[in-house]
Amino acid sequence: MTQAAATEHHEPVENTSTGLNSRKLMMWAFLGSDVMFFGAFIATYLVYRGKSLVGPYPNEILNIPVTSVSTFVLLMSSLAMVLGLHYVKAGEKNKGTLWILVVVVLGAVFMGFQFVEFREFAHEGLTPRTNIFGTTFFILTGIHGAHVTIGVIWMAFLAYGSHKGSLRPDSALDLEIAGLYWHFVDIVWIVIFTVIYLISATDGPPPGMETILHG
Amino acid sequence: MANLWQKLIKHDGNGWWNLPHTAANELNPPYEGPIGGAWFGNIWRVLTHGGVAHAGPGFYWLVGLALAIITLLEVWLFGVEGLGGWYVPILLGLSALKFVGVVAFFMHLRFDNRLFTYLFASAMIIGILIFSLLLIFAEVAHQPPN
Repeated sequence: MTQAAATEHHEPVENTSTGLNSRKLMMWAFLGSDVMFFGAFIATYLVYRGKSLVGPYPNEILNIPVTSVSTFVLLMSSLAMVLGLHYVKAGEKNKGTLWILVVVVLGAVFMGFQFVEFREFAHEGLTPRTNIFGTTFFILTGIHGAHVTIGVIWMAFLAYGSHKGSLRPDSALDLEIAGLYWHFVDIVWIVIFTVIYLISATDGPPPGMETILHG
Repeated sequence: MANLWQKLIKHDGNGWWNLPHTAANELNPPYEGPIGGAWFGNIWRVLTHGGVAHAGPGFYWLVGLALAIITLLEVWLFGVEGLGGWYVPILLGLSALKFVGVVAFFMHLRFDNRLFTYLFASAMIIGILIFSLLLIFAEVAHQPPN
């Protein structure tokens, strides 16, 4: 691709060793390390899957319809994020601000779903100390929730910046980097939803325990 | 110290740390479209009246719709009985589709410099290998002794 073509596609050639923006490269490197971070907790969940000796078990407590809605909300926040970035880059300030605000709202709604879910589980008797399912479940989803919280705060600042006019097409990289983080949080949830909710939702007591529990 | 920092960050010479220039010559082929292959490239050119390197809002809405449909399909599969051993592989496949959709199009890896793709894909491959080994070792460790 020629220099002229690169300019045509609004991809500035950075004056760095790689020709890439250092902050964006750093974010991708961070996301690579976060893959390992979440991978460790997902693998730990799988290693201890079905080994809880006392309930509540996943088949007694996980609510798939409700979590499906929260998953949909997070997916749509990713769509809002990419639309926000598009409009900020295009210099359409109001549309850009609106879509970033949509990301903030949808992120907050997702956090609300998680808060309600955790409270319900606590009422049902499942806490991080109840059994190995509770420990691995709350650590993984809790850390993900912490990531979402950081993302929502970050997006709120960017929405304010966009509203005030400090987030412009020439500084859209700030939003792009935040967007990479936000999309990553979304893809981690895609994996969590499949592995913990859809695949593990029918898990009951380990083999042999049913006889002990129910005679 | 400041000079060294400048050299490391801004270096443009032939030092051992000098990585290849990629921004100018390693972007995904222009006008190729979001999915590789001549046929898809042609469809993309027709849809976009000549082709653009970056997708627009219409394309993002389409990807969002596809992600929503796949999620609905996953939830529907949860209630389907009789899938047996196919249930987990199908779900993992659908999950992988959504994962790739977000990474390729929403995170722009499909349109961005290939170095970012290499970086993220390397982390994914290493992560999957390490944690697959962990699961295998854990399974072996839980086998009753002969």
